[in-house]
Amino acid sequence: MKIQTTLAGSYPKLPTVAGDVNLRVVRNRRDAGKATDDEVAAAVRATTRRMIELQNRIGIDLPMEGQAGWDDAQTFVARGLEGIRIAGLLRYLDTNTYYRQPEIVGPIRWTGPITAGEFREAQALSARPLKAFLPGPYSLYRFSKDMRYGDPTEGARSFGEALGREAAALEEAGATWIHVEEPWIGHARAADGRAVRAALEAFLAGHRAKTMIHVPFGSPMAVFDSIRDLPWTAIGLDLVGAPAGWEILPLVPKGRTVGLGLIDARNTRLEAPEAVAGAVARARGLRPDLDYHLSPTASLEYLPADTAEKKLERLVASAALAAKGGA
Amino acid sequence: MPRGLWTTTVGSFPKPPHLEKARQQFARGEITADRLGEMEREETVAVIRRQEAIGLDLLVDGELYRGDMTTYFAELTPGYAVSNPVRSYGNRYYRKPVAVGPIRRTKEWTVEWWKFAQAQTKLPIKGMLTGPYTMMDWSFNEHYPSREAMTMDLAAAINDEALALQEAGAKYIQIDEPAISVRPEELPLAVKAFARATQGIKAKTITHICYGDFDVIYPALLDLPVDQIDLEMANSRYDLLDRFRVNAFTKEIGYGVLDVHSHRIETKDEIKEGILRGLEVLKPEQMYVDPDCGLKTRTVEEAFAKLEAMVAAVREVRAEKGITA
Repeated sequence: MKIQTTLAGSYPKLPTVAGDVNLRVVRNRRDAGKATDDEVAAAVRATTRRMIELQNRIGIDLPMEGQAGWDDAQTFVARGLEGIRIAGLLRYLDTNTYYRQPEIVGPIRWTGPITAGEFREAQALSARPLKAFLPGPYSLYRFSKDMRYGDPTEGARSFGEALGREAAALEEAGATWIHVEEPWIGHARAADGRAVRAALEAFLAGHRAKTMIHVPFGSPMAVFDSIRDLPWTAIGLDLVGAPAGWEILPLVPKGRTVGLGLIDARNTRLEAPEAVAGAVARARGLRPDLDYHLSPTASLEYLPADTAEKKLERLVASAALAAKGGA
Repeated sequence: MPRGLWTTTVGSFPKPPHLEKARQQFARGEITADRLGEMEREETVAVIRRQEAIGLDLLVDGELYRGDMTTYFAELTPGYAVSNPVRSYGNRYYRKPVAVGPIRRTKEWTVEWWKFAQAQTKLPIKGMLTGPYTMMDWSFNEHYPSREAMTMDLAAAINDEALALQEAGAKYIQIDEPAISVRPEELPLAVKAFARATQGIKAKTITHICYGDFDVIYPALLDLPVDQIDLEMANSRYDLLDRFRVNAFTKEIGYGVLDVHSHRIETKDEIKEGILRGLEVLKPEQMYVDPDCGLKTRTVEEAFAKLEAMVAAVREVRAEKGITA
């Protein structure tokens, strides 16, 4: 049985082929006053095109745009919301990457599309429907400094409502799948369940598009009971960084999809397709009634571009082997 | 009269454009290692002279001969390979170490540079290393069966280098552990590894930690067997001071007052205000005033303008509070 392959966030921006547009170089030239903002924008478009073409060529079933123009997974969206001020750099969990911390200084409000235009442009470059990306509302709250609400449930719900409006704008732009990155759900304790639920309940209300709640780096077990009945389509698990995620499978409601994060996005060691296909078979053995996606554990931007490409090839090879029932 | 509020920096200084160009030329095989080394030594002397001129108390060699704080060591160490560039934030990239075999220190990493730098000045120069936990956490691992096994091999290697720096005469040895604040469950491993890395060290030990979640590791962080912990204070608008009011900071502190990720030059008055806020909960003899992190991401002009403002602010506070260096 075929298993859908997909990404789990952004993709490395650097080219692997000499002579291809190098966004890093163009941005450096802009910073030195030798290139214009228009030239940077053109380099972002060229990089997006390359990312999408690569995924199409390798055979990823549900490609993503790759977020070529984003500095991190939060700021691009957060700075588009009313009530948010962008502050200093913080380390992004334990990844040795950084983000600029949003500060909640007023009521959080969505005032217009932030990512939808970019998504529409990217979709026009792809032969296959793209999965859109948004930072998750609970994690965006946890990544932020709350100087307004003082109550995690209220703050997280406000982000959920605002990002839900953005998800609707993505639907208007043609998105049929929306990937929601929620690393903090993997770090949540049972006591956080109320805030997690408030964020996702507000976010998920009334959407046509399918939604993937993706939890990299940790297992959502501690709060899964709080979100089990919400109308998400898929829960994405990092089964390398958090093997405890396997314990979620028996609890997933019928009719849902599980994203099996089995390609390690945080280590250069390449997976054997036989081992990955074996893990897929294990999941199917545990819950034959569910649908599955196969993906990296997280954004592939934690890897060098050359390794990321090899990981994608392993991903597709693993899915092919899994489809044959091989392990 | 109390002593304190000594001034220093965290480690790295920006490379001047002609040195950046020379490093690129060397990478392309257009100049020799000898020529690059000659330029690096010239610029190291220049950085030391400027630190002296500004009036800093505790100097560094500026790390102009290093690329990234982990990659530099990996390139000199059997058991390590180095990846193609990986992004850290925005448009900043580094080549990440990859553990491909047992990690062993088979030659000195920094001692010759430290000796060269110290020979240029009567002021003390810090020996500068990256800590075992951070080296492990910021590497890919294709060899070790566990994070602990890799960390402890690194700790042994770093201890060899720290002992060699001490033998060469270093009175201050800084072993940076910026990764320590991200996995609280591994703090005991980081503490154990740091103890191994500093085994037999009588010099003053310092560690730099930044951009993490201090709520989850403080005050347990004080278990680290080190004399001074260097923290970014300005980036978090001195919020850490509230934690110190609840749980006293019991070690010396490197007290960061300059945002190293901003082009803006802080005013003397705002730096002074930050120092005065610190003195509400810390003793002057605990405090070494410095930037939040290494200055290598700034331009040369920005870096020294920021430091000039910092030293001017410290001098005013010292004068007003009757504190001597």
